[in-house]
Amino acid sequence: MSTLSGRAPPSREKRLDTLSAYLGEARALLQEFDRGEPDQRIRTFSQSTPDDLFVALQVLAGVRGAAIVIHGPRGCASSQLGRLQATGQNGGGCWVVTNLSQRETILGADGKLRDAITALHRRHRPEAIFVVATPAVAINNDDILSVVDQLSDQLATPIVPVFASGFASKSAVQGYDLALTSLVKEFLTEKPDHSAQHVNLLSLSESVEDRREIERLLAALAVEAHTFPSGAGIDAFRHAATARLSVALNADQAISLGDALQSVAGVPFLSPPSPIGLAAIEHWLAAVGAAIGKEKDARELHAREVADLSRLLETRPLRGARVYLSLDPATAFGIADLVQDLGGEIAGISVEHLDRLHLDSLRALIDRAPAAMIHVGHAQGFEELNLVQRLGVDLYVGASGHLAQVAHLGIACLFLPRVPVVGYKGVASFARDAARAIRNRGFFETLSARRPPYSAQWFQRSAHWHIKQEVR
Amino acid sequence: MNAPFIERSRSGCALHGALATLGAIEGVVPIVHSTAGCGIQYQRGVTPFGGAVPSAAGFGPPLSSSNIGEKHVVFGGSSRLREQLKNSVKVVPGDLYVVVTGCATEMVGDDIPAMTKEGREQGFPVIHANTPGFHGSVHRGYEIAVRALVEQLTAVPDTPVAPVPGVVNLLGVIPQQDVFWQGLLSGLSQLLSEIGLTVNPLLGLGQTVDSWKRVSRADLNLVLSPWGRDAAILLEQRYGTRWLDIGGVPVGAAATARLLDLLTDGLRLNTGVVDLFRLNEEQVLQAKLAGLAPLYFASGFQRDFAIIGELALVSGITEFLVATLGLMPKLAVVTDPLVEEQRAALAAPLRGILAPFETEPLFTEDAAEIADLVRASDCELVIGSAFERSIADELDVPFLSISFPLADRLVLDRGYVGYAGAIALVEDIGSAILGRRPS
Repeated sequence: MSTLSGRAPPSREKRLDTLSAYLGEARALLQEFDRGEPDQRIRTFSQSTPDDLFVALQVLAGVRGAAIVIHGPRGCASSQLGRLQATGQNGGGCWVVTNLSQRETILGADGKLRDAITALHRRHRPEAIFVVATPAVAINNDDILSVVDQLSDQLATPIVPVFASGFASKSAVQGYDLALTSLVKEFLTEKPDHSAQHVNLLSLSESVEDRREIERLLAALAVEAHTFPSGAGIDAFRHAATARLSVALNADQAISLGDALQSVAGVPFLSPPSPIGLAAIEHWLAAVGAAIGKEKDARELHAREVADLSRLLETRPLRGARVYLSLDPATAFGIADLVQDLGGEIAGISVEHLDRLHLDSLRALIDRAPAAMIHVGHAQGFEELNLVQRLGVDLYVGASGHLAQVAHLGIACLFLPRVPVVGYKGVASFARDAARAIRNRGFFETLSARRPPYSAQWFQRSAHWHIKQEVR
Repeated sequence: MNAPFIERSRSGCALHGALATLGAIEGVVPIVHSTAGCGIQYQRGVTPFGGAVPSAAGFGPPLSSSNIGEKHVVFGGSSRLREQLKNSVKVVPGDLYVVVTGCATEMVGDDIPAMTKEGREQGFPVIHANTPGFHGSVHRGYEIAVRALVEQLTAVPDTPVAPVPGVVNLLGVIPQQDVFWQGLLSGLSQLLSEIGLTVNPLLGLGQTVDSWKRVSRADLNLVLSPWGRDAAILLEQRYGTRWLDIGGVPVGAAATARLLDLLTDGLRLNTGVVDLFRLNEEQVLQAKLAGLAPLYFASGFQRDFAIIGELALVSGITEFLVATLGLMPKLAVVTDPLVEEQRAALAAPLRGILAPFETEPLFTEDAAEIADLVRASDCELVIGSAFERSIADELDVPFLSISFPLADRLVLDRGYVGYAGAIALVEDIGSAILGRRPS
């Protein structure tokens, strides 16, 4: 199923059988995948969750030198304020919202879109302008393309439409495909005559520290890493087409970029599990090493780095700790291994979505713990709190806003986006931050004076109460 | 009205304003009926930047949300809302559930009033507010939410409600969009209770559905920003309640004295009590400000300043800085989306303060336009939002955050209202100036 034809790629549900709701045995779920199409489930009670628009905007905001027009009512742009907290975005980046009124959602607002694009161009001379659709525009089918076509020529600037809808997929991860395929269609050139020696390091949501760590490791293998698209400019796409290979830091997020580099520019794409936890780092380096004829160097590098960590690993800093994870799937499976490397035990796992990209990880989970349960839900705090309070958890590791609600149960919490986790340095920083959260419980106990906002009745019910089979 | 496009908007949409308002009432559970991301835009784009929100029962994140999909956009989402409503009542305890809508469900045409009526018939305490983002900014969302609470929680009586003497409602303070909303409401409540009034702040800790059910019994509605006028007029129409728009946040002795005079006359308060309170407070404020004197001269307090924020706070702070501290306004930008007539009428007091400095208030919420204005202002102190911080850095002048979005300071309970608020403001401006002083 091509992701590059059409205005937007087909949904992940259609391409990869992506699930957004499940709670039960991992083994039963794997059997469903093995039988063919797994059953899609829905929630009869749900909480706000990120959508493709939210994720696409995050991806686009990471592209240096570009500007964004959010074509919709003003609230669709609110998450852009997050850029005030991001490094290097002093002043909050470069974006405009068309601020549609009711009348404009009915009659269209192509004139206003034109004005907004022209103003951004005049004010900031960005290298490219992304025009992002929103639910209101997806419903009224406002004509973005003719404005884009006209102004691209007139302003001599690439203007890239991104057709987010907020409802075409139930999984926010679709936003990566949406943004990346739009960028690829505009900027990726075909297979070049010459190729260079560098490796494309595909990075989307990783922190600067995590990127630096993997660049350090690649440098130790004498590999020049070209890290993009996050933090890089649009010329990175042209440069990427000449690379000898691409490798993902988080394959769930980067897959449509890696696949496109392979199919359009002939750059081989490696998508090993994220380099989090000792086994996965070794595997990741080995995969890159094998692709460039440096297997031995990769093995030696791993041995050296593990030796440096040996004292830390011997202390088993998380021994005895029962840890609950609520993360995107690639990170969750990596952190699950890392927790065990450090002597901890996995009490449960919630992943934001789950699909055919994760069957090996699911198998590995079942091999280690045949009765392992898995929860699929993005930002569904009510289900997680129900699970966590039953399981007896010493540390909750998450990335969503409901982390604070978990803390109200008096459970130690770690907000993972702030913690470097990739590579060997990630082992040390995760060990330090996890251990100090478990040891220093003052604030969690302070918060536990107020109960989280769910009924006693809900805590008595099974956590999968509101997950039902979809009636087709 | 077609609003302009905005570079780096400093206000979310009507849905967000309604969520901020409803989330500030204990026991109220908002239920978002929209696409999945609407609530997330609020959680990630509003709440981190509007001062901290106290935890009250029923308040997220995450929010109850119907998360409608493609099927519902095509066939309608009413049945999904019915299911979400029924289950919200079971999962999230509350005294009142409020269905707030987003753009998609409004465009699809879901019949929300029918759904909430059905809920009430089943015994659920549920009302609705139509809050699609295309209805406007956070400010409009506050107006819609307040209207929904007043119209759907309280009956219009056959005989006029007898007001309870000395009871005052506070209107027009928008949680989070006014980053000092808690400090303003609690500070003003405290101040007015000292002169014998019973204040119903309606929002914030301790404010419940019952506070709103009693909204009709006030003797007076005190309006603190242009965004409280709609509710004041509605309450006047329904219950004949008098209202008083004081044109902004009273900061310092002069503005507070004016407020006390108006209330003393309007509510026939005991002048002896009011005068004694005022005298004491003024003496304390004067004594503390006298303590500023050595630093005032040594660190160059007297400066040209640029101020950027919403009308109510910009008016209050500017008046205090000019009249009490002797600072000079070079630029005042009002960022709430006021229409032309409101700009003319409601900004008159600010215009009066600025006139001696040959300065006019400017009205825009476009961050690029504001950045250009600040750069060109030749000011020596910038008071604004996180968007203006980088401009102040560029100009190498002190900066103080007072307006949304707030990204460089934590506000749990601070406010710049009355006598104590004036002292807090002086401390914060002083710290900004001292923090910039070359070592």
